[in-house]
Amino acid sequence: MQQTNAFNRRRIRMGIWFTAPAIIVLLTVLAYPIMASWVLSFLRVRFAGQGLNFQFYGLTNYTDMLTNQLFREALVRSIYFTFVEVIVVLFLALLVALMLNHPLGRHAFFRVVLLVPWALAPVANAVLWKWIYNANYGILNQVLIRLGLIEQNIIWLGSPLLALNMILLADIWKAVPFIALLLLAGLQNIPSYLYKAARLDGANTWQQFQHVTLPGLKTTLIISIVLQSIWALKVFDLIYVLTKGSPADSTVLLNYLSWRETFSNLDVGYGAAIANVLFVLMFMLALVYIRALRPRQTKEKKG
Amino acid sequence: MPSFKRHLSRFFIRMGLAIFTFLALGPVIWAVVTSLLPLTALTSRPPDLDPLNMTLENYRLVLDSSRGLFSGLINSFIIATFTSTVGLIIGSMAAYALARLKMPGSSLLLMMILATQMFPGIVIAIPLFLVMSRMQLVDTHFALIVVYLSFTLPIVIWILKGFFESVPMELERAAAVDGATPLQTFQHIVLPISLPPLFATGVFVFIEAWNEFFFAIILTRIHVKTAPIAIAEFSGQYQTLYGQMLASAVLASIPVVLLAILFRRFVLEGFVEGAIKA
Amino acid sequence: MDKNRILARLSRRDFLKVAGIGAASIAAGNVLAACAPQPSGPTKLNVLVPAAPDPAPPGVAKFSEEAFAKWKTDNNVEVVYEAPPWPQLHDKMAANFASGQYVHDVMYNCGWVPEFAGYLVDFVKDLPKELIADLPASSFSTVTWDGKKLGVVFTLSLLTMFYNTEHLEKAGIKEPPKNWDELKGMAKQLTGGGQYGWVLNYGAPEGIGGVASYWMCFLQQAGGKLYGDDGMPAFNNEAGVQALQVMVDLMESTDPGSISYVGINDATNVFSSGQASMMMNWPFMWKPANDPASSKVVGKVGTAILPAGPVGSASIDGTDAYTIAKLSPNPDTARKLIEFYLDKEVQKRQVLDTGWLPIRLSVLNDPEVQAAAPNAAIILEQAKNPYDSFVTPDYNAVTTAIGVEIQKALAGSESAADAIKNASDQVTEIVKKRG
Repeated sequence: MQQTNAFNRRRIRMGIWFTAPAIIVLLTVLAYPIMASWVLSFLRVRFAGQGLNFQFYGLTNYTDMLTNQLFREALVRSIYFTFVEVIVVLFLALLVALMLNHPLGRHAFFRVVLLVPWALAPVANAVLWKWIYNANYGILNQVLIRLGLIEQNIIWLGSPLLALNMILLADIWKAVPFIALLLLAGLQNIPSYLYKAARLDGANTWQQFQHVTLPGLKTTLIISIVLQSIWALKVFDLIYVLTKGSPADSTVLLNYLSWRETFSNLDVGYGAAIANVLFVLMFMLALVYIRALRPRQTKEKKG
Repeated sequence: MPSFKRHLSRFFIRMGLAIFTFLALGPVIWAVVTSLLPLTALTSRPPDLDPLNMTLENYRLVLDSSRGLFSGLINSFIIATFTSTVGLIIGSMAAYALARLKMPGSSLLLMMILATQMFPGIVIAIPLFLVMSRMQLVDTHFALIVVYLSFTLPIVIWILKGFFESVPMELERAAAVDGATPLQTFQHIVLPISLPPLFATGVFVFIEAWNEFFFAIILTRIHVKTAPIAIAEFSGQYQTLYGQMLASAVLASIPVVLLAILFRRFVLEGFVEGAIKA
Repeated sequence: MDKNRILARLSRRDFLKVAGIGAASIAAGNVLAACAPQPSGPTKLNVLVPAAPDPAPPGVAKFSEEAFAKWKTDNNVEVVYEAPPWPQLHDKMAANFASGQYVHDVMYNCGWVPEFAGYLVDFVKDLPKELIADLPASSFSTVTWDGKKLGVVFTLSLLTMFYNTEHLEKAGIKEPPKNWDELKGMAKQLTGGGQYGWVLNYGAPEGIGGVASYWMCFLQQAGGKLYGDDGMPAFNNEAGVQALQVMVDLMESTDPGSISYVGINDATNVFSSGQASMMMNWPFMWKPANDPASSKVVGKVGTAILPAGPVGSASIDGTDAYTIAKLSPNPDTARKLIEFYLDKEVQKRQVLDTGWLPIRLSVLNDPEVQAAAPNAAIILEQAKNPYDSFVTPDYNAVTTAIGVEIQKALAGSESAADAIKNASDQVTEIVKKRG
């Protein structure tokens, strides 16, 4: 289809008008803070009487960070946390989306149920899970003892690996609804005639899933994986309320460490360095996903 | 015969839905139960769930006006509504442009937009607070709206771009042939059939703005207390009032759930076929 | 279709118009409000305090309302409170101070005075002599830095022993433990059948009320101190290790959930439900422990001073204090407000109505107060022993480093000696970095 130059120019101008408001908002609000975050990491920032005192520090914040054992452990834990959370959330969210797309699940009730964990304020959510995990009075222990699955109370937040995974569990519970909603929208995006065609070709349910559903969900899945990875790396509220990094700093993840250094220890430069590392991590992850899994633009427009 | 298989699969789906409902609502129901019982009942082993012990005392204490839950709910509502409306409008426009209208450097722009998401709020908080306080914008609705917009726009753009890209081109080409401008195509063709993702992202922005906590703490003082701040007041240094906190959380979640019920029709219909038939 | 008609009516432009007008009006309203000329009238004081039930002044907590109203009219002052939840105070203060702008006149402070010393006024020297004479001298140790007294503690809050009188009686114990051996022995005796002799929140490492600060009680009971005269850590010795060893030895009689309790509230719940017999707690606890709505041990609570170590008894200061900001345009009025908070009647109502003990010795010795708060006498007794919280500008970093090592020792993954040595090394690094 031949497009004239004028038409092209108008489309590009339209494009700029369409994107301008969003770009303006992002630039005005975030440009300065993001640049400041980079600059701060090369400074030694102290709280001194009138505002802040800045001193050039070169790469010291970064070298301190890389030689610090806690930082390295937090990095490993963050990666583990993200990896596991993304896999579990995607899996569960896909299951839920499939169920809610099925005629049996296509009821407003289930969609509202989906929203409920998500609607709970994060502070309350964290306190609720803290209460559920409480060693003596938490409902989790009570239920498990009642069912005879355990004999004594388990101190869910008392041992390093267990505490980390219980935080993971609580975060997964909170994260599934949104991803499920996203995948549900993606499922509804797949035209039903594609399924009919597949069925006519003799495909069974599993094959339909493989050859119609999954490809149709590809973009949504990628977006979900990228977003969920970013959010998993940013986890904070749950750590703050449930464990404060305990026991023995075993639930300290990178974002929490950055907060602790910035606001609790008032070492703003060091906290900024950690935050920048987090940024680089997320950026690289996003690049990997998008480059490796994205289909070429032209292939998609075949439809 | 497929009939048996069908019954089996229906059974599994029913089971799945039941488990899903239980897991999703279970903790929340426990929150409601906790909010209805005095602490002494909850610290018995096993917990004393006798309905006769149930009391609305926690709710009464929460709704006592000095706690500010009402004003918190109103502030959150204002902020969340503005953020989601404005966010959807300018976000969907940007998403459409990046999906369809050929823009130079659009993939770079997209990565940069996504990159803004990757900065943990922690470090952005201090410079942002510095700027806001110099501009006298601390403790204003505007400050929070604009900050939340900047947090949610990238996600809105990314999600909607994906969906707009998958809208079949025939529809848009047909409109172009009929003489529609890109604006009209966007408004009358693409948007109406994108209601499920629009709803999903709209709800997302609303809930994010409603529940956001850290920047609400940093950027507000007295006048613009949001709901999460009102809820967090029950968690102090020397005492955490579980019952009251969960009661206020339950109350604060009700508006969101109500809104979801209100807008439920926007998700229930398949749409692409509808558009093609039309 | 319904949807399309609705969408067609509300065109995008209409949306934009409404949104734009709405946003603009909110922004305009906010800016106008900020720019509005301040009416010349009452002096305005901005005060930052925690939300009740944490220690809060009249106007936030419910006491002395009439007296407060009268004071405001008499002095022509308007007091605007910002009362976030306690855990947010430090973050807010950090952001406020970093901005270099005037935000508050009077601020609540808890162990952060040395940290923020550069932003605070040393107003104590301007307080009335009779007020200063009525305050315990050692209550100033946590709010003094560089020789300057930068704040006033307004509630005498020391850790003391709380015990369940019924449990002790049943076990044939006549009096609460007086020393470490008795503590360990009695705790063991009281443990069994789902009951524990001891409970505490070991889940948070940092700050006052964190596990490091609890160890500091034992440290002082063994005659040790955190820093030497050169400012370097001086606890890697017998006193430090012994102090930690007591806590480790107690673990067999301690509620195992203790390692996961982040706030003292969680430990208090265990005590108040009758599941643990002894704990350390702040004087404030007296009220909720005797409140039937939250406690099953009403009337069965006893307090005593902390058991003595090799040297004697000791405790730590909860250090809830008021301070004044250097950037305040009205430091004198701010000081007068603090004087009001410390007024005898106000202090009396503070304990009678909210449960937070007064700091004024005359009020603590008032028979009415002693009758309503039986633990007041115990606190006074405890105050005769050392109660240093060893607060320094990097208190959070130091207590986190020490606290993490203590947690490892309590979990049994490190010996007490190793833990103390590691802690000492890390604190040395932190102090050196501070320079």
